[in-house]
Amino acid sequence: MTEHVRTELDPAALAYSGRAPGHTVMAARARARGTWFYAETVLRGMRAYFWPIMLYAVGQPLLYMVAMGIGLGTLVSSGVGSVDGVDYLTFVAPALLVSTVVMSVSGEMTYPVMQGFKWQRLYYGPVSTPVSPGQIALGHLLAVVIRFLVQSTIFWLIMLAFGAAPSGWSWLVVPIGVLTATAFGAPLQAYASTLTDEGFQFSFIQRFVVMPMFLFAGTFFPLSAMPTYLHWIGWISPVWHGTELARLASYGAPMSPLMLVVHLAFLLACTVTGMLLAVRFYTRRLRS
Amino acid sequence: MEAPRTRGLSRRALSSGNVGAVLERGFTVIRNQNWMILVSGFFEPVFYLLAMGIGMGGLVGEVTGPAGEPIPYAAYIAPALLATSAMNGAIYDSTWNVFFKLRFAKLYQAMLQTSLGPLDVALGEILMALFRGFLYALGFLGVLAVMGLVTSWWSLLMVPVAVLIAFGFAALGMGITSYMKTFQQMDLINFVMLPMFLFSATLYPISVYPEPIQWFVMAMPLWHGVELMRQLSFGHFTGATLVHVLYFVGMTVLGLGLTTVRLRKLFLR
Repeated sequence: MTEHVRTELDPAALAYSGRAPGHTVMAARARARGTWFYAETVLRGMRAYFWPIMLYAVGQPLLYMVAMGIGLGTLVSSGVGSVDGVDYLTFVAPALLVSTVVMSVSGEMTYPVMQGFKWQRLYYGPVSTPVSPGQIALGHLLAVVIRFLVQSTIFWLIMLAFGAAPSGWSWLVVPIGVLTATAFGAPLQAYASTLTDEGFQFSFIQRFVVMPMFLFAGTFFPLSAMPTYLHWIGWISPVWHGTELARLASYGAPMSPLMLVVHLAFLLACTVTGMLLAVRFYTRRLRS
Repeated sequence: MEAPRTRGLSRRALSSGNVGAVLERGFTVIRNQNWMILVSGFFEPVFYLLAMGIGMGGLVGEVTGPAGEPIPYAAYIAPALLATSAMNGAIYDSTWNVFFKLRFAKLYQAMLQTSLGPLDVALGEILMALFRGFLYALGFLGVLAVMGLVTSWWSLLMVPVAVLIAFGFAALGMGITSYMKTFQQMDLINFVMLPMFLFSATLYPISVYPEPIQWFVMAMPLWHGVELMRQLSFGHFTGATLVHVLYFVGMTVLGLGLTTVRLRKLFLR
């Protein structure tokens, strides 16, 4: 029994056996690559939900493409005919990709963050090692980004299968989807990290931010189909900026170079601000 | 001489007739904690109606109503959204809420230690879900009236019918939840609800599908709710109206029976 403990769990014995690096080397590694270490932890945790995640990643695009693209598209083609110069399925598909990843990211960056700080205190183990709070924040985000890289790719493949992504540049919808998810997810993560009680904030965000963004930020119809006084909802929503870019990539929707810069700058600014705030709030909470 | 009890399926074993105690607790919780969540749930169908009715309405134009007459798109989806909202409210209250109380808070265990029977608990929880459905239906009908989408006096019947739809979903939902043990199993509920919402003639008629898929949709409860609401909102009834109503009556009876049996099995074995 003691022999077993000595060889398996005693780090010094492990180091002297020649099979493990020394303390300082391990600490330096954790310090240098803490973000990746924590991301790996989160991804391993996601393995427990692998099948639900995959079912969601494949099932949701299929359902939305059939229901919104084909079903609703039937009504649109007997109404105005084509939208933005293309059939309705092609018009709505890139927007659905962006919207669905943003809806999923709102699940990943709310309750799991609360879980890290409060319910299961998952963040407090790593922070007692050389891994820094900022690395935990970014590692968590990185894991989520990797998940959405997979989810967006699956969605793009389904778009291809439906013939809903005619442009040769349509693969760009994958990085655009991930960028939009980060632009919404990073600030949300920063906000979630400041909450101390599991009140109703998360359901409020779901109902008054995520849902309106899905409905009013140009996903199902161009912003111009709404009265002018509602257009601001699109302008301040990452979903609209991401959707416009995704439409450009997917079927070459018209866009001026200035707007291209504006859309990209908005998404990048949200991402960077969110990350900076998350690092700051995590450090404050985990080091105090 | 009294005959020996046969496995106690008597009324007294199931209920002490004190549903009021369960309701009282429910209202206290709403008053003290989650009235904000309750109120916010009202906005979801309203947002859908505004976005789809105004935005999509511009792209779609007019569609065919229940009596074959052309109607604005907003008027087409409004009754469907009311049916969906009745379903969502009832399902939320009778699944996630019940799951937490059953598996984490152990609330029902505590309740059944008192004189309350499983039928009291089941009815009390379901009536709370109905109260919520009733509030949402009333609010939504008000919104429709303001938007000029109420065209018939029959529309007033949409409120009790919303409660009937909620009753069916809540009764069955609670029974099914009693089988659930983990969060992953709870996620399955979304896998059933999302397609049902998307495909039940809510946003477009089911005639766009091939016939076998149409039959499948027609077997789902939400489709009956949507059709019933749409007929009411235009005051146009057919023989199918009665079928829709009976579907929900049957679902309610079945659900109540299942829930009571399950709660008995879980706690009074």
